[in-house]
Amino acid sequence: MLRYDSTSSSAGSSSGSLSSSSSSSKPPQQDIDGLLAGAGYKVRSSELRQVAQRLERLETAMGNSPADFSQLASDAILYNPSDLACWVDSLLTEFAEPPPTCSSDFIVDPVNNQTVVNSAWTAAEPHTPQVHQNITYDEQQSLDNQLTVVTAMEEDSGIRLVHMLMTCAECVQSGDLSLAASLIDDMQGLLTHVNTVCGIGKVAGHFIDALSRRIFQGMGGGSVNGGSAFENEILYHHFYEACPYLKFAHFTANQAILEAFDGHDCVHVVDFNLMHGLQWPALIQALALRPGGPPLLRLTGIGPPSPDGRDSLREIGLRLAELARSVNVRFAFRGVAASRLEDVKPWMLQVNPKEAVAVNSIMQLHRLLGSEQTRNSPIDTVLSWIRGLNPKIMTVVEQEANHNQPGFLDRFTEALYYYSTMFDSLEACRVQPEKALAEIYIQREIGNVVSCEGSARVERHEPLAKWRRRLSGAGFRALHLGSNAFKQASMLLTLFSAEGYSVEENEGCLSLGWHSSPLIAASAWQAVPAWDNHMSSS
Amino acid sequence: RVVPLNTWVLISNFKLAYNLQRRPDGTFNRDLSEFLDRRVPANINPVDGVFSFDHVDGATGLLNRVYQPSSLNEAQWGMVDLEKPLSTTEIVPVIVFFHGGSFTHSSANSAIYDTFCRRLVSLCKAVVVSVNYRRSPEHRYPCAYDDGWAALKWVKSRTWLQSGKDSNVHVYLAGDSSGGNIAHHVAVRAAEADVEVLGNILLHPMFGGQKRTESEKRLDGKYFVTLHDRDWYWRAYLPEGEDRDHPACNPFGPRGRSLEGLKFPKSLVVVAGLDLIQDWQLAYVEGLKKSGQEVKLLFLEKATIGFYFLPNNNHFYCLMEEIKNFVNPNC
Repeated sequence: MLRYDSTSSSAGSSSGSLSSSSSSSKPPQQDIDGLLAGAGYKVRSSELRQVAQRLERLETAMGNSPADFSQLASDAILYNPSDLACWVDSLLTEFAEPPPTCSSDFIVDPVNNQTVVNSAWTAAEPHTPQVHQNITYDEQQSLDNQLTVVTAMEEDSGIRLVHMLMTCAECVQSGDLSLAASLIDDMQGLLTHVNTVCGIGKVAGHFIDALSRRIFQGMGGGSVNGGSAFENEILYHHFYEACPYLKFAHFTANQAILEAFDGHDCVHVVDFNLMHGLQWPALIQALALRPGGPPLLRLTGIGPPSPDGRDSLREIGLRLAELARSVNVRFAFRGVAASRLEDVKPWMLQVNPKEAVAVNSIMQLHRLLGSEQTRNSPIDTVLSWIRGLNPKIMTVVEQEANHNQPGFLDRFTEALYYYSTMFDSLEACRVQPEKALAEIYIQREIGNVVSCEGSARVERHEPLAKWRRRLSGAGFRALHLGSNAFKQASMLLTLFSAEGYSVEENEGCLSLGWHSSPLIAASAWQAVPAWDNHMSSS
Repeated sequence: RVVPLNTWVLISNFKLAYNLQRRPDGTFNRDLSEFLDRRVPANINPVDGVFSFDHVDGATGLLNRVYQPSSLNEAQWGMVDLEKPLSTTEIVPVIVFFHGGSFTHSSANSAIYDTFCRRLVSLCKAVVVSVNYRRSPEHRYPCAYDDGWAALKWVKSRTWLQSGKDSNVHVYLAGDSSGGNIAHHVAVRAAEADVEVLGNILLHPMFGGQKRTESEKRLDGKYFVTLHDRDWYWRAYLPEGEDRDHPACNPFGPRGRSLEGLKFPKSLVVVAGLDLIQDWQLAYVEGLKKSGQEVKLLFLEKATIGFYFLPNNNHFYCLMEEIKNFVNPNC
């Protein structure tokens, strides 16, 4: 009976006419088991016993919950399988010990104020996305690679990439464009060592592109956001489908609007960015089911003009009217075509004094911000006429991000963190082409934040705390989004999304985030009556 | 433990990896499987006296990897002659090899099988053609057999695989685990079509049946293999709704047939004494005998499955001797 005997595991033995193929033509490197090398595995003979023990541990761990394993295996990041020791360790980390909580985690080193990437960067996603769309496992095979290989070299490359991105941004800020340009080259080289299908590699690629555009093409950057309105709508629609941010925005805003309209027979919604009108069917249906019957609903949708003579606003209006008719809601639609929100004048909205008005802004207000804090900047003008409409409610949804700081490096750092988190969350999406187009949508935002300046830079996101101050200063007071809205938002998540998303309530506002990072925040506002008396004293 | 440490690590690792790939609902994570499989390319330049090249059969799209002994004339290294026969005087056996993996795992270019085929070439002074048959659960019965049959016909029709004074292709079929099962069924088809196969080498072939045998109960989970995984693989290979008495799985079972009167090749059946399905393999041997067919049983009492992957145990050398004698009775 042959025992478990490490002495017999040395390099391939030859006997008579037998030779053990490739391993005997070269001397074994430093203690690597030659026979296992012939089978495609690199293990040091001195480590064999340890590897065996770890395999046994894994077996025990697997014995305890076998059903979890194949599911987890589909989503885990697994290390180089030829390096058996490493491979077994990665599995142990994955299955037998609690996984780390955050896959993209920046720490600001307090000593030198440098941003450092937490080594948990390349750790596995702790939660397995549920497959909600009706995809069978066979179809899943052809979807983008869910399996990420991260070798030790890739991990280092990922961290180096982040450092280089920061350095490059710093060079851009200080004007050292030639150094910045050479860093771009280096980073593009480094990208080849990193998996660009997901994780840091993918996001880094987009930031490198954006930086590159800024350095080489200057900051007009018209090409970045230069997609046609039609294209933007398509991308927006796919972003809507691929992840829950927009659904959350619509859902939460609609809840608040519905409650604000309670008891009113004539209501008027002003939508600052109609797109495909995705938000409104749900509101129309909710109004239809209102106890006491639906009100007369007017919807004014603002959107960019269509270049080819099509009246796309009207087309959407017609579709919504059709829906309204089918559920017996009296409905009227008006389209206001404007390239910029600040070009809209309140008289175009034709608000009737007897109506209850809801102003709905999904990621539009930030576009009115300029870099200079002047009086009568577009944001002030618009907020002022909104007040003039005396809306029953103004629903505001904005990216929960600080992308409007004057310093480029600060902005860049924030954006890198924000969009990494967003891309991480997008990994949970398994539907194509929604996912790919959603990524392009996000990529365009990144491009605008990083490579544009002046009036071309429209993605001037500010966090909720800043909007609170701004809106309060402009004569609005916050309406609390009720706990009902919170419960409904949480329910929405379980229906539509992967695990990992979280809803938070914060002083009456709701935010949706990926793990503990909020990415989008929703709030509701009302004009403070008799504000103008205050204004004259400020 | 009854195996050397590195063998234990190798097979345990396979077991672990396979567990990750099989899903309880019967589906299979093919992406993960392909990713984890350690593969080697063919090498037209001889290594230890053996060179290899891949051939894709235009009609079937099947990839066969051909292994040949390198020419004694160094000037000819790096070239393949696809016209001249292997020899006009001597018989050079051509072993058509079907790799194992329970119909689901591995490929002709998996490192472990590439290594094994090279050993066969050296040992038997034979040409080995390793067949990359379609695997389950994506391709169920009878795909693997169809592919095996297609490969056999392809091999038989290659003039450059002919040898001997009679200018024939002298074919043996061989396989381990599911490959052994395939070898049997292809041999049956060959016999029925009057295509000559000189011998079958079945290395712990994969057979089974509905009832649970004594060895299955005794050895379940003891040496890397469980009944649970065996059942999974049969469910993945056999037509849906079928049970393990399907003749593909149980050729001499209640739905099987006798091979009496059929010009079936002689068989070398190797059974590992620590393989839980040995009762089915022994029943197979009995079935061949009852059909009046020539069969030699090599029973290696203390061997586990996969003992032949690494040449670090006596069973390995014993096996190689037997194969050598089986294929080259004149050597």
